[in-house]
Amino acid sequence: MTINVEKKDKYSIISIAGRLDASTSGEFEEQLVKKLDEGEVDIVINFADLDYISSSGLRVLLVGAKKIKAANKKMVLAGLKKHIYEVFEIAGFTPIFEIVDSIANL
Amino acid sequence: MIKIELLNQLEQLAKLAEVIETFGEENNLPMNVVFDINLSLDELVTNIILYGYNDKNTHKIEVILEKEGNNIEITLIDDGQEFDPTKKEKPNLDLEVEDKGIGGLGIHFVKTKMDEIKYKREENKNILTLKKIIN
Repeated sequence: MTINVEKKDKYSIISIAGRLDASTSGEFEEQLVKKLDEGEVDIVINFADLDYISSSGLRVLLVGAKKIKAANKKMVLAGLKKHIYEVFEIAGFTPIFEIVDSIANL
Repeated sequence: MIKIELLNQLEQLAKLAEVIETFGEENNLPMNVVFDINLSLDELVTNIILYGYNDKNTHKIEVILEKEGNNIEITLIDDGQEFDPTKKEKPNLDLEVEDKGIGGLGIHFVKTKMDEIKYKREENKNILTLKKIIN
């Protein structure tokens, strides 16, 4: 998995690529929590190059969703591939996130 | 048929994924089937590695993948504590963000993605067989 963080307009965009599983979710959590703790901007997580997610990856997103709600900020998920969106659906996670087709649609 | 042995280390998940990809290519499996097998085995093996053992020793986890006609048969064998995932209750998926957790989600994925799950305990080993039907 690779993670890239950039600032664009009013968003911090965290792009994740590859596989988000139990062996890589710790690194993602570290980066996400760091951005959330800075607390200045809204966060976009760009899934466009993410091929795989397991419940370990969802756990990190849930940590993020809870923190962002408490901070009264926004977290948007962008560019989920079909099979990844399905994992969100099976988990009952789609209602708790703002999900857009791509970062072009922010 | 592909048979592999993994160690109880999370780094082995990448190896598991590679083996499933290879199995998918060799058998011309559709992408979504490969993904479903990957998700199911990844969740189950993660559970075994994180919660299956009372000691800190190295253990082997065996995975066997076989294609029989339109069925994919998967066998997962570990020498961890007795654990029958078929008895695990479905998590409450309708909770609000504050109350949501991920407990039980992995096994919920397996039950959703696989067509058949059977468990038995033999000679101090958990033996789980999964079946995925290719439509």
